[in-house]
Amino acid sequence: MPVVRRSKIRRRLLIMLVTGVGGMAAAAISFASAVYDAANPAPVPTIGKDQTVDTGRWRVTINGAHMSSMPPTGTKPFEPKRFLVVDLELDNRSVATSNVFLNLITIRDEAAPVQPKPTYYLARDKWIASAINPNMPEKLVAAWEWPADRPEPATLSLSIGKQIYKPRDNLYGAPNWFDDGEAAVVELPVTQAAETKEQ
Amino acid sequence: MSALRTLLICVLAIATLYAMRNSTPGYGDITAPIAIRGAVGERVETRDFAFGAANVHLARQVKVESFGRVKDYSTSGVWLIIEGAAVAKTETMTLTSADWLAGNGLRYELSQRFSTVPGYLPTERLEPGLPRPVLLAFELPEAAVDKGTLLVARSLVMPLAEELSIALGDKKPADIKPSVTIARSASGTPWTLAAR
Repeated sequence: MPVVRRSKIRRRLLIMLVTGVGGMAAAAISFASAVYDAANPAPVPTIGKDQTVDTGRWRVTINGAHMSSMPPTGTKPFEPKRFLVVDLELDNRSVATSNVFLNLITIRDEAAPVQPKPTYYLARDKWIASAINPNMPEKLVAAWEWPADRPEPATLSLSIGKQIYKPRDNLYGAPNWFDDGEAAVVELPVTQAAETKEQ
Repeated sequence: MSALRTLLICVLAIATLYAMRNSTPGYGDITAPIAIRGAVGERVETRDFAFGAANVHLARQVKVESFGRVKDYSTSGVWLIIEGAAVAKTETMTLTSADWLAGNGLRYELSQRFSTVPGYLPTERLEPGLPRPVLLAFELPEAAVDKGTLLVARSLVMPLAEELSIALGDKKPADIKPSVTIARSASGTPWTLAAR
């Protein structure tokens, strides 16, 4: 009787030991890989103009940039202003209409960020662009009002953000899109003062 | 024999857990709006409001006349314009969410490009018992019109609220007009719609 009991205890101890060590090893590997990934982020690719970036939710192509004294609407502002105008193409690959692209593209700059945010126009009829529909790629024009005290840039570096889809988020378990760093950096030259004709 | 039985129980347990995990509805499904089905041309009721879609038009371009100016709105697909009427039942409200659900599951939101169209759904305040004519416009690829469904709800962020799901059915317009002009009207409906 005592022999049987001792062997049973030994078996239980062995099981506890194996599961405990295994679980701890799994937790340690998972934690270490998370720390390693955070310490060694994947390098963000730098691309030129006319190349398409697949950010998951969007396909973004930056087609060119120029400085202009005229906003894309073609109406000359009352006070003289300078605009940094960027031509781009956007394709919404998600299931629903979205206007998230308004926060997707930012100027990468050591100095303070250019304020205010750019205004997006539809290239085809010069109206202010609202949300972009899925399965309807659009050509857009983004216009930054360039600060008067800043020299005109010769090159431009645009950061394209990306988002990931979580079918169950960490708070509610609801499906949603979440910001996930940069997809690519687009370097392109800025053509100076392309004067468009007045209307 | 006993080892085989243990293995069998383990496999069965894993299979059951996997099936339960995959069939559990997510938070989005649990709190999704409750669909109330209807068709174009009939009045569809919810507890809070009623809505009916009357006429459906397709156009390549929309022109909006407002205060003596004509604004052109082009599209890379087609404009789907729906004339209808809505009425609140219990309290004053605005129907802020209208989507077009295409046959392939893509959702197209109501176009936000108009600012001055009279009777546009999200700008109309509905008083209980006073039906108002309302106008809706969507920008869609041509293929998304067939087998589409109009979804109208008070708000998208209200869990377990009611949402109308109005199937287009065979009410698809036969032709796509090159241009439709929406103008303000003095009497009757607040707008006039003319194809040119």
